[in-house]
Amino acid sequence: MTAFQEIWSPYLIGPFLWLAGIAGMGSVAYVMLARQRVEGYQRLAYALLPAIVLALVFVVADLSRPWNMPGAILSSILGGTFGWVRSWMAVGIALISLGTVLLLFLTLRYIAASSVLVRIVDSTWYGVLLVVVGVLITIYSGFLIAAAPGIPFWNTALIPVLWLLSASVCALALVELLLHHGDVTRQVVRMGVALESAELIAVMALINLALYGGSTAARLSAQALAYGSLAAAFWGGLVGLGVVIPLAIGIVSMKRQSRALTAAAAVLALIGALLLRILVLQAGVFEPIP
Amino acid sequence: MTRLAHLWDQSRCIACGACIAACNAANYGSTGRVNKTWGWLASNIKRVELVRGPRPMLFLVQCQHCDNAPCVAVCPTGASYRDVDGLVKIKPELCIGCKYCMVACPYEARWLDEESGLPRKCMGEECLSRVKAGLEPVCVAVCPAGARAFGDLDDPNSAISRRLAQSRYIRLLEGKGTEPKYFVVVGP
Repeated sequence: MTAFQEIWSPYLIGPFLWLAGIAGMGSVAYVMLARQRVEGYQRLAYALLPAIVLALVFVVADLSRPWNMPGAILSSILGGTFGWVRSWMAVGIALISLGTVLLLFLTLRYIAASSVLVRIVDSTWYGVLLVVVGVLITIYSGFLIAAAPGIPFWNTALIPVLWLLSASVCALALVELLLHHGDVTRQVVRMGVALESAELIAVMALINLALYGGSTAARLSAQALAYGSLAAAFWGGLVGLGVVIPLAIGIVSMKRQSRALTAAAAVLALIGALLLRILVLQAGVFEPIP
Repeated sequence: MTRLAHLWDQSRCIACGACIAACNAANYGSTGRVNKTWGWLASNIKRVELVRGPRPMLFLVQCQHCDNAPCVAVCPTGASYRDVDGLVKIKPELCIGCKYCMVACPYEARWLDEESGLPRKCMGEECLSRVKAGLEPVCVAVCPAGARAFGDLDDPNSAISRRLAQSRYIRLLEGKGTEPKYFVVVGP
């Protein structure tokens, strides 16, 4: 079999994509909870800035010329060669920079609590901006790999959709872990069951389309996950622990709630989302020539 | 308009590896440094052996200088660009080492130079200066079997245009829509 692509480290880019999704959809969850004035919603704000900063740390750690980044980005913006509408990597640099600034102000609003900051951050337009940038960061993290034509397994429209679903599951898991109380948990559990079901269908669709599609490389990637060298991590870790068990706990919790069980389901769902990204990256292979 | 391109004649190639060694010598100072991306030596030409099928086959794969190059499209800073001569080139000063170009290239034609952090590919600096001076790239110049050609596709009298006019050729992974300019001659 063709070697897995060893260009992007799955253990650096996987966590980057995961944390970007958590920060992105977590921002959406924060705005929704803040608008409903749910008790303790502020706790979510403290988790989002570390998530996006850690995402940046992971992605920069994978660069082979990190020292050249500030100068190169500045030169390309000034020189008119920056890929604003051409490259998903460039779009991501812009979105994550904007997201970091927005989340920094959000965190400062609770730490410093200056009246100007409170007015700005609590305004409707700031909330709308946070939601839009959050969703775009999550979608971008999917398009980043989907728009790489060298790796056919990634080169599918399903990836951004799957990333969006899985990042939404992560945001709900974060809410479950940070704000466990009555009505919110009931709502979160119901949404979680729906999103995890959709995630499971999307994961199975990704594997099936690749197994029976036209690309040799995509088939090799799907085979590695379905019954090859990555099958144990895929079925046991991602599907079993990361999706099916949280889904089963969610279904049970709809009737009878247990704080320990929902917390365990949230942790497993977060691990599942991380495994999903690492495994999809790891399974990537180039199309054999000829 | 100029559209410089490479030709490799599979039917004439004797698999001596002179082109690979010459690329290593000219562009990377005969270094013994390992090209970890390909598990190969520091050279812009990759040897791909095809063992499936009725008989073994050899392919020499390198940057295809695509007219519709994915590496150029995905580069966030414009470090990878298509020059007016039709060749895909890299501006090191704009490269941040994100390696997006490497995963975008369906031909896996780029490799990571761990010393500089730059994605390397055909053509190397020495070959580019040779071409600028009106000379052939080293792989073409050293081939003992005349299996290689280089030149302007838009000039009907160029070496490559004349060879293509009288040969059967293929282009690799044409279905990817990259419009590659690396022609593999498979027979007269």
